[in-house]
Amino acid sequence: MLCLFAVAATVVVGDARADENLLGYVKGAEPLPKKAFELYEKITARVGKGTGDYQAYDAITEFEYGFTDRFSGRIAFGAMAIESQGLVIDGYLPKDVDYGPRMAGMEAALKYNFLTPAKDPVGLALDTEFVWGWLDPHSGQDKTTVSIEQKLLLQKYWLDGQLIFIANAGYEMTHAQRYPIDDLPPGFDWPTGAEMEIGLQTGLGLSYRFARGWFVGLETLYESEYETEVDLERWTWFGGPSIHYGSKKWWLTATWLTQFAGGGEFYPGQPDTSLHLIEKTENEYRLKVGFNF
Amino acid sequence: MRSIPALIVLPAAFAAGAAAGAQEYLSQAEARKAIFPDADAFVDVTVALTDAQRQAIQKLGGSRQRWKSQVVWRAEQEGKPVGWFVVDEVVGKHEFITYAVGIAPGGVVQGIEILVYRETYGYQVREADWRKRFVGKTVKDPLQLDGDIPNITGATLSCRNVTAGVKRLLALYEIVFAHAQ
Repeated sequence: MLCLFAVAATVVVGDARADENLLGYVKGAEPLPKKAFELYEKITARVGKGTGDYQAYDAITEFEYGFTDRFSGRIAFGAMAIESQGLVIDGYLPKDVDYGPRMAGMEAALKYNFLTPAKDPVGLALDTEFVWGWLDPHSGQDKTTVSIEQKLLLQKYWLDGQLIFIANAGYEMTHAQRYPIDDLPPGFDWPTGAEMEIGLQTGLGLSYRFARGWFVGLETLYESEYETEVDLERWTWFGGPSIHYGSKKWWLTATWLTQFAGGGEFYPGQPDTSLHLIEKTENEYRLKVGFNF
Repeated sequence: MRSIPALIVLPAAFAAGAAAGAQEYLSQAEARKAIFPDADAFVDVTVALTDAQRQAIQKLGGSRQRWKSQVVWRAEQEGKPVGWFVVDEVVGKHEFITYAVGIAPGGVVQGIEILVYRETYGYQVREADWRKRFVGKTVKDPLQLDGDIPNITGATLSCRNVTAGVKRLLALYEIVFAHAQ
């Protein structure tokens, strides 16, 4: 995993301009100018479920375009790699799995800025995302999901723009369909009927420019999910630091989030029941690189 | 897991050799001549501000006087002052923006020049069309973004801070130089 971040960091010398994400997960409300075009690459490592050996990697390539000074759209293509060994969870993780990057899904999104943070008292935007996936991010098994996600994004500048406060609040609705798997243990629960999930998410973050081009940040995320089979399936609190570098040509953000509280479903023998470790992991690491054209 | 190197091929493929670098568009000497073309001498009158002066500038100008010292040149023509050339820096998104304001006697903006601009968007702040909006302004004018000064999308923070900076420098002129003439 360290190798992944080290190599991705070598990407950064590119002739491009940037509209940045100061934090890894919580999104700001700066608009993208009309006719500006951006390319992002995001890699996320999800590591540790308390038992066995679990690591999953998501790589998303995203293109964003400013249609007007307030309205932008983006498309993204996602890939996933996963290794899970020594952990079987009824209904969730049916077997060991280990495979390299496979295409996992596509996204299309629209963002509209009602207010801009440098001109208005706060920045406020609505982000709407449609996602089509065909791999289960938790088990790596085939699973078709169709989701819509909407978030309000809020951003406030202090100290002439050196200190930035960001907040998000939103929901996600998903229709999911799993498929039969051969050679499951007798009695193993693997529902293949249609499922509906509704999730709520809030995030808060602070970013501070401490040197030319360098920002340090802290962010926290609260997520909960309700599902047709189990009602409140999970809730989690994640938090952690971000480091960001931005220049005229490119930008980079590295984030570490750790789960410090969670609940809902847990698996038998889960060593730490103060966390939710079925659909989430103990830690997430994210690296984003952005270029504009 | 054998697949990690494959996941990082895509971002690694974007590595390119162009280096990011600061860009100075005008030197201070060039900017002085641009704003005061008829001046035949410029005298360094860089000022060290007291705490009381900084507070007074903040109160009149509406924004914090970050610097304790301000680079100022008095423009002269045949030995008589024709204006003040003030160099300032304000926060941009990544880097400080270095700019200069020429203030004519009476506290009226004669011109502004952007000396160093390193931000992603908003190169239009250097264009004459935007800069000339400040000509004729005094500390009594609103100097409000999207009011009497237009915004440049993608550089709103830079525009806001330059606009606030110009008003603050007009306040500095009133506090430090206006009554000393």
